[in-house]
Amino acid sequence: MEQLYNSVIEALIFASDEPLKPAEIIRAIHGIDGEDVEITPGDIDAAVELLNERYSLESHAFTIMRVAEGYLYSTRQQFAKYLGFLSSEKSKRRLSQAALETLAIVAYKQPITKPEVESLRGVNSDYTINTLLEKNLIAIAGRSETIGRPILYSTTEEFLRYFGLNKISDLPKPREIEEIMQDEDFLEQKRKLLMNAVEENLEKSMESSGEDAGTTE
Amino acid sequence: MYRIRLDQFEGPLDLLLFFIKRDEINIYDIPISRITKEFLEYVNLIKVLDLEIAGDFILMASTLMHIKVRMLLPREIDEKGEEIDPRAELVQRLLEYKRYKEMSEELSFFESETRKLFWRGNFEHDEKEAPPEYEVLLKNVSVYDLAKVFKNILMKATKKEPVHEIKKMPVTIDEQIEYIMAKFESFNELHFLSIVTGMREKIRIVVTFIALLELVKMGRLGLRESSNFNDFVMYKLNNGTTV
Repeated sequence: MEQLYNSVIEALIFASDEPLKPAEIIRAIHGIDGEDVEITPGDIDAAVELLNERYSLESHAFTIMRVAEGYLYSTRQQFAKYLGFLSSEKSKRRLSQAALETLAIVAYKQPITKPEVESLRGVNSDYTINTLLEKNLIAIAGRSETIGRPILYSTTEEFLRYFGLNKISDLPKPREIEEIMQDEDFLEQKRKLLMNAVEENLEKSMESSGEDAGTTE
Repeated sequence: MYRIRLDQFEGPLDLLLFFIKRDEINIYDIPISRITKEFLEYVNLIKVLDLEIAGDFILMASTLMHIKVRMLLPREIDEKGEEIDPRAELVQRLLEYKRYKEMSEELSFFESETRKLFWRGNFEHDEKEAPPEYEVLLKNVSVYDLAKVFKNILMKATKKEPVHEIKKMPVTIDEQIEYIMAKFESFNELHFLSIVTGMREKIRIVVTFIALLELVKMGRLGLRESSNFNDFVMYKLNNGTTV
């Protein structure tokens, strides 16, 4: 691949506000310079690597990320606080525990039906599934062939982008059940959190009972 | 006994895992009777607090009681001739749930890391349209997307701007106070029905009633039961005392 194409690739990625797939880059180059230009996804990856090295050497504030099997410019983490000060996008609320749990199940077991999600979680998941659909983190992938033909859900490109993942297989593997069993700190952290909450509540109830005593005097 | 904030738990499985950890229970040998008892105590608490999530907890409570009963009966034998532990299925579910719970923590970590990244963006989409090939036309479009768009179009087509009309009340409390007191020029007692009969608008009757209450509050009129239980008697007061 000719040197010139490093800059072409840079330009194409720079001008895109969503992850640009290598196939798109190749399509653009072939469209202008002819089908006989030899360029592979591997070449593009190498070019991106080179660009990132240069940005890093020259202390640029941005870098090219590999997300959702494409390339997208992003600022470096250390500038997050300044950017967050002006941006309303990132000050949005984080996902709830219920949403994360449901997403984890969909991500690992996709495509999956709602009853399957609910049986794994042990709770009704109507609301959570709808919220995730609205946020475009999951999508309808079709219908199961089983009785009643329930709707199947799977994760979206937006899911990959939201969690900064290149592809779904980049998620860490869930631990095997035997491994979990040997775990010393099985739920330890949650217990600590809970104990804090209990103490808070105790303090609160002590305070409020103190106030009551004051008013009856 | 520990007190637990219930909103901390994502569901009955989460609560069971908590009991198991707290009491350092061997998950393969759950003391089902004790756990059931504790679980029921919390279900009763939830029923008071939050009906919406209580259903899932009640379902689990009945599962636990079912297991408890089966524990008392002679063990069933599987095809290999081994005893079936009635708890086995629940244990499997708990462990499976635990796996995904852990993965949700991983996702949470990815979430906070990615929130520190600001993507290139914030510009209007201005992409050249791809040549109209059949496959390209339907690229990334599923039948569900089409259905969704169609539904939106239908909704827009039938949606009308809601119009709210507010009518000004043709009558005020002050006016009705005057109206009532005018009636009392020549009477010391009047039936309420007699002063509202003939009023056509409901609102006028309502306002007259409010005006009457106002007069009672001011101490200018008193009220007492009438022999006709559908009515009552109003009588004139002078600075709070009967005339």
